[in-house]
Amino acid sequence: MITISPYSTSTNPSATGALSEESMSVLEFEEKSVEEAIAAACQKLNLPREKLEIEILSKGSSGIFGIVGVRKAKIRVTFQEMPLEAAADQAKEILAEILKHVDVPTVIEPVVKDDCVYLNIISNGSGLLIGKRGKTLSALQYLVTRILHRMGGENVSVIVDTENYRSKREMSLMELAQQLGEKVKKSKRSLTTGPMNAQDRRIVHLALKEDHEVRTKSKGEGNLRRVVIYPVRKGRKQQRPAESQEEV
Amino acid sequence: MLKELIEFMARALVDNPDKVKVSEIEGEQTSVIELRVAKEDLGKVIGKQGRTARAMRTILSAASTKIRKRAVLEIIE
Repeated sequence: MITISPYSTSTNPSATGALSEESMSVLEFEEKSVEEAIAAACQKLNLPREKLEIEILSKGSSGIFGIVGVRKAKIRVTFQEMPLEAAADQAKEILAEILKHVDVPTVIEPVVKDDCVYLNIISNGSGLLIGKRGKTLSALQYLVTRILHRMGGENVSVIVDTENYRSKREMSLMELAQQLGEKVKKSKRSLTTGPMNAQDRRIVHLALKEDHEVRTKSKGEGNLRRVVIYPVRKGRKQQRPAESQEEV
Repeated sequence: MLKELIEFMARALVDNPDKVKVSEIEGEQTSVIELRVAKEDLGKVIGKQGRTARAMRTILSAASTKIRKRAVLEIIE
């Protein structure tokens, strides 16, 4: 059994000091013996033993005949989180390995920008990797993120793009949002977009965020969630429900 | 080729990569790819609401269009 209790650096004085500038994480592991606990830690974090700073909290004992006084060994492990550049390289490797089997000639450019890893795929432009409404691209992005997180790159977000698909899509969605916003203002009636995924809905919400004559809200369940754009009646105090900004 | 694709993705997602077994049953037009993983890893290859499985199927179908085939991924318990 492994018990993991995340500590933030500030609550653990032993890890602060010279290392406080780095992003260190602390976890505790409990196993039958110290060796087993270390092995569990290495496996869980997917890091070699040398990369871990190990503090033994309790050596544990098997007790008398393994019955009386059995105590588990407990260790505290301090490790450095994967730096973004390393995460970018790793993400690139994962994506390259997947695409190798898809049999399209590709070059992947990793870029680190605003705490995100952008992976731009340069390909033959057939749209094969985009799929209908970006379905394949989203699938690739999701899988790369999942695999990267398993390799210890927690809280790194990965964005996979090809042929500027994502930025083009963002532009056209913003345009659509503006157009719908104008229509709502003119007709004073609410309008609904087609079903959209979370990222697309977010773009629509953000596009109309600054416009105080309309407000937006997501409605529906699962894959059928869509954005409703409502007119805001004049004279009334402008209300901005929290969900129009947060809940995407 | 399709088999290796699924094999790589599944191995990278599970806790017991050595227990991942993939077999391909080739037909004239359609291939069936069977994926077997350790029982405790089943959830990892399926994912929340089948999201991981869906992502793998999407990539598989992209890869199979490239070679003008159809491929079906079966995850076997």
